[in-house]
Amino acid sequence: METFELEVALLRGPLAVIEVGGYINNEAGEAIVATARRLLEEGHRQLLFDLKATRIINSIGISLLLEVLEMVMEAKGTLAFCSPSPSIAKTFQIMGLAQYARIFESRAAALDALSTPS
Amino acid sequence: MAEAQRVRILLPLQPQAELMATAAVERVGRSIGFSRDTLAEVKLAVVEACLNALEYGGGQVEVEVVGFPEKPPRLEVVVVDHGPGFEPATLPTPSLQAQLSGERKRGWGLELMRHLMDEVDIRSAPGCTRVRMTRREGGR
Repeated sequence: METFELEVALLRGPLAVIEVGGYINNEAGEAIVATARRLLEEGHRQLLFDLKATRIINSIGISLLLEVLEMVMEAKGTLAFCSPSPSIAKTFQIMGLAQYARIFESRAAALDALSTPS
Repeated sequence: MAEAQRVRILLPLQPQAELMATAAVERVGRSIGFSRDTLAEVKLAVVEACLNALEYGGGQVEVEVVGFPEKPPRLEVVVVDHGPGFEPATLPTPSLQAQLSGERKRGWGLELMRHLMDEVDIRSAPGCTRVRMTRREGGR
């Protein structure tokens, strides 16, 4: 059984960094949606998901990430991902996710970019 | 030439059963020299094939993983279910733009399989759907 871990690692103004580890399937995806909803309600409109410890994602997990994207877009916020494995980065590329979400190779690069007004 | 490595498994009806298939892919793939990154892509495609079979097949799902120690090495994965079947050509290509303004956000499984594997062949009829996928090391 593959476990799933989710932790809000950093809250700084509008930014929230959420670390996600393990297997993003339906259960993990629902936990991500619930956490994202809470953070948006608390006023964090920049959500950065750090996928460094994410081993695999399935299409049900992806569909739930799209729900998060929709919520963030409605809130006129920014959704970002960092440190995806090559296979997850390829999955995002196949979907065309980079048109709607920002994707960074590392958390440092993401924090640098997100703290700079665009 | 070394013999093909072959693993057959029957997926149990339990949560995360699809990961049994990815464990088999990992074992066979490593034994014939697949890289970690290529294996990760194959595993993602296999998860999708198994999820479809488990969700729509309505029962027993069989998985066969065969590793051919060629140059470059090649993996073949076959997933079989015994559900009502479907017509692959009728499935729409998912569009992120359309999904973001609509209710349904699923439907990426087959699209991902086709992009992550070198070949995906689906034969489906009532009572038997067979998905056969192949990937060479360094392919795609």
